[in-house]
Amino acid sequence: MNITQIGVTGGKGGTGKSTVSILLANKFRKKKRKVVLCDCDVECPNDYLLLGQKLKNPVKKVYAQFPKLDKDKCQQCGLCVKNCRSGAIFQPPGKQPFFLHELCSGCGLCWHLCPYQAIGVEKKVIGEIFENQIDKNFYLVTGRSVGVVDETGPIVTKLKEVALGLAKKIKTDYLLVDTAVGMHCGVIRALIGVDFAYTVTEPTPLGAHDLRLILKLLKTLKVPTKIILNQADLGKKELINKISKDAGVGIKYEILYSKKLVIAYSQGELGKVNIL
Amino acid sequence: MKIAIVSGKGGVGKSMLTSSLVMFFSQKKKVVAVDCDVDAPNLHLWLGEDEKWDETKKVSVSEKPIIDFKKCIGCGQCVEICAFDALKLRKGKPALNQFFCEGCGACEVVCPVKAITMKKVKNAEIRVKKNVYGFPLISAQLYPGETGSGKIVDQIKEKAEGFKHELMVLDSPAGIGCPVIATLNGTDFAILISEPTPSGFSDMKRVLTVVNHFKIPYGVVINKWDINPEQSSEIEKWAKNKLLGKVSYDKQIFRAISNLKPIIKTNLAVKKEIKEIYTKLQKTL
Repeated sequence: MNITQIGVTGGKGGTGKSTVSILLANKFRKKKRKVVLCDCDVECPNDYLLLGQKLKNPVKKVYAQFPKLDKDKCQQCGLCVKNCRSGAIFQPPGKQPFFLHELCSGCGLCWHLCPYQAIGVEKKVIGEIFENQIDKNFYLVTGRSVGVVDETGPIVTKLKEVALGLAKKIKTDYLLVDTAVGMHCGVIRALIGVDFAYTVTEPTPLGAHDLRLILKLLKTLKVPTKIILNQADLGKKELINKISKDAGVGIKYEILYSKKLVIAYSQGELGKVNIL
Repeated sequence: MKIAIVSGKGGVGKSMLTSSLVMFFSQKKKVVAVDCDVDAPNLHLWLGEDEKWDETKKVSVSEKPIIDFKKCIGCGQCVEICAFDALKLRKGKPALNQFFCEGCGACEVVCPVKAITMKKVKNAEIRVKKNVYGFPLISAQLYPGETGSGKIVDQIKEKAEGFKHELMVLDSPAGIGCPVIATLNGTDFAILISEPTPSGFSDMKRVLTVVNHFKIPYGVVINKWDINPEQSSEIEKWAKNKLLGKVSYDKQIFRAISNLKPIIKTNLAVKKEIKEIYTKLQKTL
């Protein structure tokens, strides 16, 4: 059995990644295909809202390790402070260091480096994973960071494991992967493993600027892609046409500005819209 | 004084608001503008600037491990410690997935035979334009596929400190993770901007957890309030006295940005609305 894994990304925020992800899911469902949608924007997940769902009981929690000081053992040597590349350890002159977990990536360097074994490990929940069944053929898997988390990438990796697991278990045809904005590690981790990705953009210099960047990233990751131009009738389409031509990446769909879409978006009824 | 514009959700108007506010402020104060969206920097476009910078400097914000396979004994301790799954044993030796590597250096520390050395990689550039409507703009681009966005935000903030100023205005990236935390760290005031949709509101509350963590005073702006007046009034009720103002939706904004025309150089109604926000902000700060 083959699961086709399709990414939806875009670089710029607010161009319609989540909207397109759900519209694609709708298109596949209409053809009686089974779909798992994985919302990889773990910092600000929204797909559940667009589908009128609630995130209730997490099916899995994601943990990370953070340093914890043993005050009796610490000799204030400052080695941990000097070597922390995240700037997450602060040591006031003549005092013991303390750890700023909000800046800490949980890499573990400090507790392995400490010559006095004065740094222990504290396990903390950094993310939660939720599953929602929308209907017989449509499942949503959502990841959400918990509290102030510096390094959200590992939540995405765990989330994709869960989503793939579900996809295999229920024998789905498609796994749709909706990424966060930007091109950071969370986006890259979401895109690793996809067979193909749609790049959603808008016809403005902003959209064009970020489209160039994300196409570069997709090329580096060796992910084939096609463009989806949202709000295609507003702004300057020629900006996107030019990039499409220069990069040799075609425009698959053009979505026109539509009040109906805006309303469905804000009322959590995007699951009912069929326009692709 | 530092103020940051944040939203959680992308594309709700951070850079539009930042560019307009910084231009208003520059009429009375010495300002410096910082574009902290190092993944996809756009503030320069909202300020009507193309890609001509006065200064572009390649920098290193990350390090990557170089493995000396002559020394490596294949013990796998580096693989074990890596919190980011960036190292895997392949045919008995560690292989690096550069996209996963955060450059933390834990592998270098743990290697018992000193076969790993961390090496700096040039993976970003800092860009400066010294005179944009009389104030400097500091921006940066992390090269696609590279890591270290929080660190480069720290660097451009430091660079901005080097310019004489009374006010630093920081345009945050979307999300609530590493580069947003770096943007908000040390900021005196935050402006939360949202659009009146369930997603916009939800993401605004998510970024507020970071703002509250740092105990930063804040104000709220609702963009495109008239696309959903009901949801907008819900956000207003929630914001209470933190509300700085509302900006209406205008398709002409799309046209203005398509022509690289800053909002305050137009005659659009939103210009007046942002000016009111600016006036209220002056009293609040």
